[in-house]
Amino acid sequence: MYQLAKVDKKFPGVHALKAVDFQIGRGEIVGLVGENGAGKSTLMKVIYGAYQPDGGQIIMDGKTVRFANPRAAMEQGIGMVFQEQSLIANLTVMENIFLGYEQQFVRFGVINWKAMATAASAQLAKVRLTIDPATVTSALSFAQRQLVELAKVLTLEERVQGNLVILLDEPTSVLAEDEVKLLFKLVRELTTRASFIFVSHRMDEVMELSDRIYVMKDGAVVDVVNRGEKTVEQIQHKMVGRNVDKEYYREHRQKPFDATKELVKLEGVSLPGRINDISLTLHAGEVLCLVGTEGSGREAILRTIYGMRTPLRGKVSLKGQEISRFSPRNAVERGVGYVPRERKVEGIVAGMTVYENMTLSQMGRHSSAGILRIAGERALARDWISKLSIKASSELADCGNLSGGNQQKVVLAKWRSGGSDIMLLDHPTRGLDIGAKEDVYDMIRDMSDAGVGIVLVADTLEEAIGLSHSIIVVKDGAIQKRFACEPGAKPSLFDLLHYMI
Amino acid sequence: MDLQRLKPHLPWITLLVLVAAVGIVDDTFLRPANLLSLAGDIVPLFIMALGLTFAIYIGGIDLSAQSMANLVTVVASVYLASFGAWVAVLCIAVGFGFGLLSGYITTRLLVPSFISTLAVGGVAFSLAQYLSGQRALNMDAAQRDAVFGWMIGKTGPIPHELFIAVGLLALTLFIERRTTLGRALKAVGAGEPAAAASGLNVARYKMLAFAISGALAAIAGLLFAVKLSGGAPTIANGFLLPAIVAVLVGGTPLTGGVGGVLNTAIGTLIVAVIRASMLYFDIQATQQQMIFGLVLIGAIALTIDRAKLRTVK
Repeated sequence: MYQLAKVDKKFPGVHALKAVDFQIGRGEIVGLVGENGAGKSTLMKVIYGAYQPDGGQIIMDGKTVRFANPRAAMEQGIGMVFQEQSLIANLTVMENIFLGYEQQFVRFGVINWKAMATAASAQLAKVRLTIDPATVTSALSFAQRQLVELAKVLTLEERVQGNLVILLDEPTSVLAEDEVKLLFKLVRELTTRASFIFVSHRMDEVMELSDRIYVMKDGAVVDVVNRGEKTVEQIQHKMVGRNVDKEYYREHRQKPFDATKELVKLEGVSLPGRINDISLTLHAGEVLCLVGTEGSGREAILRTIYGMRTPLRGKVSLKGQEISRFSPRNAVERGVGYVPRERKVEGIVAGMTVYENMTLSQMGRHSSAGILRIAGERALARDWISKLSIKASSELADCGNLSGGNQQKVVLAKWRSGGSDIMLLDHPTRGLDIGAKEDVYDMIRDMSDAGVGIVLVADTLEEAIGLSHSIIVVKDGAIQKRFACEPGAKPSLFDLLHYMI
Repeated sequence: MDLQRLKPHLPWITLLVLVAAVGIVDDTFLRPANLLSLAGDIVPLFIMALGLTFAIYIGGIDLSAQSMANLVTVVASVYLASFGAWVAVLCIAVGFGFGLLSGYITTRLLVPSFISTLAVGGVAFSLAQYLSGQRALNMDAAQRDAVFGWMIGKTGPIPHELFIAVGLLALTLFIERRTTLGRALKAVGAGEPAAAASGLNVARYKMLAFAISGALAAIAGLLFAVKLSGGAPTIANGFLLPAIVAVLVGGTPLTGGVGGVLNTAIGTLIVAVIRASMLYFDIQATQQQMIFGLVLIGAIALTIDRAKLRTVK
């Protein structure tokens, strides 16, 4: 009934969807799984009309259709239940349900709230929610909001002739176990009126709910699995299963680290709602990878070490000294460098030159009595431009105009030129092309050889395994498992996935 | 040459075009004596605009500048008799202190600068009214000439205000280009999250920017008081709008990060030429604010970096 035929989508530098075939029948529940960056989000955006495909066709009931925007898709019966909840917190439940469709209740320019409340109650009944539709949304629990979101999408039933397709993007990520059961029961009942596309990181839930599962990897559908055909492990193998090239991650350059020299020590560190009772140690020359799903607390751990967050409980020590005042300035003075994930926002200052960016964290070293020694700064920048072969016209080039890989090198040079020996790398290869990635891998090995301790949050699991001396798996803010990763005796992807999900 | 590459050069091109246009219409305009006296008259406004540049450079605004100048004219008039030359130090300290207060409110209490400076400006204005007893005050002419006479004299045809202006421009330019403070302010204006993630104490630098703005507004007020030989709580009203226009027309956008004090110097000259031409065309003083309001809207619409704004409210 709904079908995608050879759908293609390209972005500058990325082939996001490669000739994807996809179909869903009346009343079916179809699962969609894949790693981060496999193309799930892009595919969903094509389905609900936020993106228009560059090639291929969207076919509904035998006719080719084209959606200019999500509203056009909704008018054909395709609705999206968002992962980041799209309800507006300071509006009432009924205002949210009919947001953008209030016209039906307007008489003489005034909204008839009674009629809207009655209509909203009817929608809420579909999802078995008995709340006053005039409740302000912020007063609801996350589970209730998720159901309101579903009810909002179900208003399509009255507006649209024919069948509905409803996308559920990670609907269970904020729900407790019994709430998940309730949601699944509801979804199964609703299959009399709608088909569902279910996207989740939790493999067991996808297996439980879906009639059929599409497995995506690198922008293509690599497998379609019918209910009960394959095990979780087999599907996971399909999701990640490329041969890991040991050379690619410079495994031959991995040397044992110096276990006698502790650089960072966390003892029972907790940040309410983010991380709980985290203890870890980073040694000189060690690459320590934090592995986990989005929102598992990896970033919070990095930011706590960097002093951007103050833990409620626990002890953070840098080079044997316990930290009492948490601030990035303090951490920088103790030799910590932070390469943030949002390179363009937190990594570099666009509009400032390469040399200004490089010395931004260490201006004290390049000034006396507050007056900068600009010639010295520029010499340092020239030195590092050649050392890391940064492609910039000169040290006076605007950092914002460099390519992503070269910007990342500037960020790394900023810390390394200042002598940082504790490096926190958050997705350092995100958005880089293969050549630039390999440069970053080489730099990580170089730093490791120089006795720098590195805490890494990698872009992919292969990267984490390939680069690390040790891996810590984090889930829901707590440490699940530690792995040692000596060359030749590295854990497999499946070992890690088992503890992540 | 496309518009993006032309943009940084627009201010001085505008200035040249305006000077040429007014010069053609009014043949007395381009006489050196006229130009020098025009430049001399604009100096208090220029000093205020210099200070505002720092607040705007970091992406904030200082709406208290005019009230600060008002307050300082009163402080200078009241305390000249008892403090003598030290009254200058007092005035600058008052401006610096109020600026620091605005900065504290903005960075620690997280009140947006347009409202924190507006509120602090209200306090300063009220204090000026209290100190003056709501009257216009006069300085003792002899004492003024003895202590601050050097500020308003002339060397040959050149008014001394111009030396003060050039001196302050050089000082602020040095701060902007050669000091860690200037570099940090640039980083805060162009990319505050990256500045914070590099370990800069962003809050402290922001407070300093507002303090510098306050101190320069105070110097503007002091010079104004000396020129008029007195002070009153409303005497500098009408300064704020042209001062903001000078900064923005000069090419420091409200979103911050680019431009700087040299741009403000050009912007102030543009304001001076617009003012002179309004006199020539017989536009009354009461209508001048209207022109500046329109120029301000035009300048903001042209210079603001919309990529940095998520929504406009």
